Amino acid sequence: MPNFSTADPIAAIYRFCAQSMHYPEAAWFTDDYLKKLDGLLDALGGEEERAALPGACPGGRDWLEDLQVEYTRLFINGVPHTAAPPYGSVYLDKTLRGRYSDEILAFYRSLGYSFHKDGDLPDHIVYQLEFLSFLAEDGNRTGEEEFLRRFFLPWFGMFADRVKGQAHHPFYRIIVTIIDFFTKEEEEHGVQRNEA
Amino acid sequence: MAFNVTRRKFLQTASLAAVALPLSEVIASESGITRSPLEPPGSLTDETVSGGICEMCFWRCQLVGKKRGDRLVKLEGNPKSIDNGTAICARGNAGIQFLYDPDRLKFPLKNVGERGKPVWKKIGWTEALDECGKRLAEIEKKYGPQGIAVFPHGSTAKYPMHFFERTVGTHNVSEASFFQCRGIRDTAYMATIGRAPGEFVDMPNAKVIFLLGSHIGENIHVSHVKQFIQGLQNGAKLVVVDPRYSASAAKSDIWVKIKPGTDTAFLLAIMNYLVTTKKYNAEFIEEYAEGFDKFKEGIKEWSLEKAAKECDIPAAQIKEVAELLAANAPNVSVHPGRHVSWYGNDFQRQRSLACLTALLGAFYVKGGWVPGKNPKIGKTSWVKKEHEGGHNLNENEDGDLKHPFTPPGTPTELIRDAALTGKPYPIKGCVIWGQNPIQTIPDQDKMKKVLQQMDFVLCVDVMPTDATMWADILLPEVSYLERYDLVKAGTQWDFAQKHQQYIAARMPLVAPMFERKDQVFITNEIAKRMGYDKDIPVKTIEELVDKDLEVAGLSLDKLKKEDGIHLMDGKDPYTMPEDFEIILYNEELEDAGFPGVPTYIPVEQPPAGYARLLYGRVPVHTFNRTQNNIWLKNAMPDNPIWLNDELAAKMGLKDGDMVGLVNQVGFKSRTTTTVKTTPGIRKDAIFMAHGYGTANPLMTVAVNAGIDDTSLMTKATVDPETGAHGMRNTFVKFVKDGKVIDIPAAV
Repeated sequence: MPNFSTADPIAAIYRFCAQSMHYPEAAWFTDDYLKKLDGLLDALGGEEERAALPGACPGGRDWLEDLQVEYTRLFINGVPHTAAPPYGSVYLDKTLRGRYSDEILAFYRSLGYSFHKDGDLPDHIVYQLEFLSFLAEDGNRTGEEEFLRRFFLPWFGMFADRVKGQAHHPFYRIIVTIIDFFTKEEEEHGVQRNEA
Repeated sequence: MAFNVTRRKFLQTASLAAVALPLSEVIASESGITRSPLEPPGSLTDETVSGGICEMCFWRCQLVGKKRGDRLVKLEGNPKSIDNGTAICARGNAGIQFLYDPDRLKFPLKNVGERGKPVWKKIGWTEALDECGKRLAEIEKKYGPQGIAVFPHGSTAKYPMHFFERTVGTHNVSEASFFQCRGIRDTAYMATIGRAPGEFVDMPNAKVIFLLGSHIGENIHVSHVKQFIQGLQNGAKLVVVDPRYSASAAKSDIWVKIKPGTDTAFLLAIMNYLVTTKKYNAEFIEEYAEGFDKFKEGIKEWSLEKAAKECDIPAAQIKEVAELLAANAPNVSVHPGRHVSWYGNDFQRQRSLACLTALLGAFYVKGGWVPGKNPKIGKTSWVKKEHEGGHNLNENEDGDLKHPFTPPGTPTELIRDAALTGKPYPIKGCVIWGQNPIQTIPDQDKMKKVLQQMDFVLCVDVMPTDATMWADILLPEVSYLERYDLVKAGTQWDFAQKHQQYIAARMPLVAPMFERKDQVFITNEIAKRMGYDKDIPVKTIEELVDKDLEVAGLSLDKLKKEDGIHLMDGKDPYTMPEDFEIILYNEELEDAGFPGVPTYIPVEQPPAGYARLLYGRVPVHTFNRTQNNIWLKNAMPDNPIWLNDELAAKMGLKDGDMVGLVNQVGFKSRTTTTVKTTPGIRKDAIFMAHGYGTANPLMTVAVNAGIDDTSLMTKATVDPETGAHGMRNTFVKFVKDGKVIDIPAAV
């Protein structure tokens, strides 16, 4: 299944984050995926996270089911409640598919992109990260910065806090920490790349 | 968690590409975002979509949806409607919040934990349906079709219910709308006038409206409220018989503050008074009624004084009501009620209401009981197959019915007893479709044991409920705003206006979100996996609706072009059908061992220190179904307990105090709610709104808000003629700060 390609490292990182926020399935949640995640954490100096991963995701079937249960609980329907719905509108409009989701859709379109996932909603974190990946790959740094400032950052912090506070499994705490790392500083410094 | 490098530094390292680009190797190429031509801002279009039919309750008002792009932003009544018109109620408006409720079910879920303490895992539809088909087929093979029990509710549940009942062949179907609501009314009227009465009273044109327990205004069904209000505007007198000063009672000319459980005695006294004073419609009775002499003889003991004592009301008031009814007959709306499963003596009360209507000659006359003449539509569903007999739990060893006047299906209590004892046979599979049997059926503990002993439990719903916590597989259904569905036919709401008929079909106002599916898809896929593919009657829900419309010469395409509602000329509803007759004395009833003449059967009264728990509806909620809706929650966050103000003073309770309840066997409510002190309730009863206090934490707004009245109904009373439940025989005391407080009225 994995066959994405890009020449842009930032685009690759955003897409990797988007991939990581999909429902965990055996088709992509492979040993190879975990190795790549480990490599990224190594480069980021995330020793604590690296140490937590092997115990949490040791390979085999059972742990994948644990992760699926965790995803369901955190992001779909969970006990004691859906801990962290991954839709911006829930945080900003207090409902699914609020005005925010229209505005984000309009923003995608205004920059030359469309959303076409039947049944799902345009403000899901996966599509926001995919959109950032496209903008990075297409060199639209102004758009990337504006999107982060206007759309992504206003809710992501609340979402990340809920995940970090309520996750039973370290995987999603690690992923939101990575997403936080790659999106937060944009607000303060703009896109900083190694132009060399 | 934090990383030992700043983002800026990381992105500036020469090794960035070496670290980041290999990530691509584990990323799928499919994405929800793609490149496309530029679109200018503000290109979202606003439109009005017609064809919706509301299901925030079951009155089914016709809707239009205002959309911005593909987002539904407002619901309104369909201007073409001759039923609700442009009006919808608070719940109807809040349908938007329900549609986009983040707690709604979105994907098939599998319980990998325990029943009752679920651990949910999202699974795909194929896996979910394979599991359902396999497990239900195994149960059918091992225990027979009767080994599967079905608890259905609502318009989407008809199709799967018919599959299990008609095709698979289980008799063990229990609809809450019958056994915990209106079934007794329907079969009592069937035994009296040969017809289920609906709420077909011509209130706009009545001179007197007579409500017994009905609290229109708290129970809001839009066109019914319009009928009620129009009647009052036109000058109708209003009689309300209720232990509580309800919204209806507040508009009444006579409020009969009756002792709970004694309504039949009150009705018998009125009827006896009309007969003995010859103020009944003798001509009408002579022409249409059977068994008058036996009826007259059977009710003669009920003097005004005897009833006054039994009902704890003045004899003069009973006489006043009887005189008012007689003076205005036949233009009297004797309302048959809706939720009537109260005390376990309800069949006789409902028969009495029908007989009273007869004595007044108030059938098929202005202001009386008048069913509209509706257009014909189809009823496409599964064809009934021949099945082996002998599995009807309602039959005794001689083949006689234990509850001969039961509504369709099998009385709930018989199903639960068989499931728990395994006698006469085991029931090991359960399908719960749109019903919440934990919060609709008395004795929750028993229901939980029933579910616990099953081999497999399937729940299909739009929201998590207390019942869905007991599922092995939980399937998400599309809501009424996302699906094609039932066809509704009716007439204009006021028969004084030009006679018209309408046909409307439910059409989606928005596309389904996530992986929610409709009832035809889900049922058919399960049927295929159980080996019934050849019996499938329609391939899609659209085909089903089209077939039903075809009977009326319509189609979905035609209906869409007519803004969702087809109008045609109507017929005069006041014409008496040729076969109409009234059975005042019912021999069949007597042969079955029940009174052939309406009879008052006293019910247990509260012991010292207790009061009877009464419950009802509020205008902003439909039982538990709407509890998680934040708009409606804000309108009424809990269910205050109505307590007589003089009692409250003696008990040291005041408005707003937080209290719990404990019932006669010591069962304590899990949660608390507020006290509302009022002179508007008797001292031997308290009242609260039904449907609050859900236990399912997946309902993040509703969980633990208010008290769940059903949880206190640990004793299930059964109405003997019908097998339906009586749900107002729970006696309670208050609990405040852990201390039990007696209710002094009965001390």
